[in-house]
Amino acid sequence: MNGTRAATAATWMLGGLVGLCIATMLGLLFFTLGSGLASLRPGTLERITLADGSSRLAEVVADDGNALLLRTSETRRLGEGYERVRRGDVVARRAPVDAFMIGLGDGRRVLGIGDDAALAAAVGSVGALARVVEVLRPNALGAFEGAGIFLRRLARFVATPPDASNLAGGVLPALVGTVTLVLLMSVLVMPFGVAAAVYLHERRGVGARIVRTAIDTLAGVPAIVYGVLGLGLFVHGIGAGIDRWFYADRLPVPTFGGGGLLWAALTLALLTLPVVVVSVEQGLARIPSSLRDGSLALGATREETLWRLLLPAARPAVLTGFVLAIARAAGSVAPLMLVGMVKLAPASPLDGAFPYLHPSRQFMHLGFAVYDAALASPDAIRGVPRAYACAMLLVCVVIVLNLSAILLRNRLRDRYRALES
Amino acid sequence: MPVNPVTCDPLSSSDLLRASARRRYWRGRVQRVLVAAGASFVLLGLFAIPVYLVAAVAASRASAGVDWAHLGLLFAGSLRATACAIAVALPLGFATAMFSAHFCAPRLRAWLKPALEMLEAVPTVVLGLVAATSFAPWLKSHVATLLALLVALPALLLAAGFAFGRPSRHDGWLPLSVLPLLCAIVAFGLWLSSRAQAPWIVPASPWNATLVGLALGVAALPLVFSVAEDALFLVPREQTQAAFALGATRWQALTTVVLPAAGAGLFAAALLGIARCFGETMIVLMASGNTAIGGFDPLIGLRSLGADIALGMPDAAPASAVWRDLLVATLALLASTVLLSLAAGFVRARLQRRLHAGAAA
Repeated sequence: MNGTRAATAATWMLGGLVGLCIATMLGLLFFTLGSGLASLRPGTLERITLADGSSRLAEVVADDGNALLLRTSETRRLGEGYERVRRGDVVARRAPVDAFMIGLGDGRRVLGIGDDAALAAAVGSVGALARVVEVLRPNALGAFEGAGIFLRRLARFVATPPDASNLAGGVLPALVGTVTLVLLMSVLVMPFGVAAAVYLHERRGVGARIVRTAIDTLAGVPAIVYGVLGLGLFVHGIGAGIDRWFYADRLPVPTFGGGGLLWAALTLALLTLPVVVVSVEQGLARIPSSLRDGSLALGATREETLWRLLLPAARPAVLTGFVLAIARAAGSVAPLMLVGMVKLAPASPLDGAFPYLHPSRQFMHLGFAVYDAALASPDAIRGVPRAYACAMLLVCVVIVLNLSAILLRNRLRDRYRALES
Repeated sequence: MPVNPVTCDPLSSSDLLRASARRRYWRGRVQRVLVAAGASFVLLGLFAIPVYLVAAVAASRASAGVDWAHLGLLFAGSLRATACAIAVALPLGFATAMFSAHFCAPRLRAWLKPALEMLEAVPTVVLGLVAATSFAPWLKSHVATLLALLVALPALLLAAGFAFGRPSRHDGWLPLSVLPLLCAIVAFGLWLSSRAQAPWIVPASPWNATLVGLALGVAALPLVFSVAEDALFLVPREQTQAAFALGATRWQALTTVVLPAAGAGLFAAALLGIARCFGETMIVLMASGNTAIGGFDPLIGLRSLGADIALGMPDAAPASAVWRDLLVATLALLASTVLLSLAAGFVRARLQRRLHAGAAA
């Protein structure tokens, strides 16, 4: 009896740890998405009075229990308004309804209090020197107005390029760079991945065993090692060779001999190869053998069976592999830091000039924008909200891709179940 | 009109007859070559990495010798980060796998596996961001809280199980029914710690091995879970059912039949988890502080092999001594992870053979 008791208790512990996993996962997702969304929401402006009698109009950015981090008006340069005050020093906090905020194109915010005439005067004086992006009274916003401003900010964030400092403005080039990169990568990886999967499916024996081990091993190789290979072999080896042979007139300015879209896509193609192979091979293995035997019995050759029956039947699996590879590629940042991903690319790899896609150009990437905004910028605290906004976009893209892969796989399973019964 | 039963495309039998034998033969040859080319591309990709690295290191004419002391510090840093991460990933991963394979209600299990796959898909740069900018400031003053929760959480769950637990049909839904209790414990711990005047344990740096370990552990958890769960689920149902028939409870069946049979699979999961943590770059780069410090203290910063490569490689001139040292670091990273994953593959293959033989016998 006592043993049963102990076993039940142990089961509870296991269940609790599973619950902890679920909670961690949900917490992580909601925290990232929530922080990303919160970074775009207009915050309340407060007039904060300190014990020494001084007072300032500011937005409270962070509150760690002991101190408040304030962001006051920034009239000269971005980031000058950040100020840390001890909680004990704060005498009064109130949110005046007539406080206004003028958002500028370079990310600065000028704050003030006053009626519409004062606001117009402030806009006039600030607007003479910088581009005014938005003017609002955050404390007087209704729910609908607040949502409207939030949506407008989201649209601006997704659909406009950043300003020259890369600390403000949108992330359109990074989004375009990420999408171009993963599409080029999938064009490179899919034929090889499907071919390798077919090989594994068709052959038994030493060759297949070696290839299978190779796939398993490739899946375990750290991403950064692919980056080193990309930089050393693709960029400095093959790229420099191409430059010597075809672009000698432009040397020493590198064309393919510097990091660029093509080499990054090739590196990612190697990185995602195991994902595609495993997915397609599983799809092929799930096809009922009766289908295959029937085709062979009717006189089709193995090749005809493969092309006309097995591969079309495994189409959802191929699609699953494609989607999973894209998700994996969109989320991997470390190898790209070595092969052509830059903080601010001078020209987009995708533009209106012939041949439209420029595989030798450097590019921007959402994942790198996260890293750069949060840690690599000179004053990190300013960049954190921006990093979370980028992270939110990245997580959304990856989650949507993975969900569609899961749905595809389920559809595939249902189809075979129908076939077998 | 006959259709392909799977794709529902129209299928005419004359298609097959029209092609002459010769064309069919050649088409088959070409296709076989293409397929073999795809497979050899995989092999090429695998062998290109070590061949390039070894050749580049051997061809380097840098006059200075390899800085082994620095490399040793990096290796130790990677090991320390891995040890902290494994302390998180293994207990959670194994517990989740055991529960999912053996206790879980089928409907919950169908939901749990994709959910953890989703966790695996979260880009590591996002995990690094959360750890480095949001969790680090909290952890700086709450190391003691974290330790206390680590000890108290399983202990309180066990105690609650002793006090209130009755074996029931609904045990498969335990993770969800225990969730409020879990939240209550965590909230109470946080409330208690917020009342403390000064933190008991103060880490030397806000970015330290403990922080890295937590983030890295969460990143490695889905891999450990899926490999371990596969191994546990592979144990033939007949064996567990035989145990039930002999009067064993679910827990007894787990400890006496399933775990001994699938132990090797759990070992392989641990190896793969270690390899994953050892090679991870982005999380360590963002959350470790990147200072090359040796020692075993989990509360000081570290610099790992991967982070060193990511930071140093873009600026290193090819053919310089720094470049060569970075290539050696890459080689060390590659060798350790490949050895680990080969060992894991070997263990898994043997386990699979044995379990299949057991099922057939």
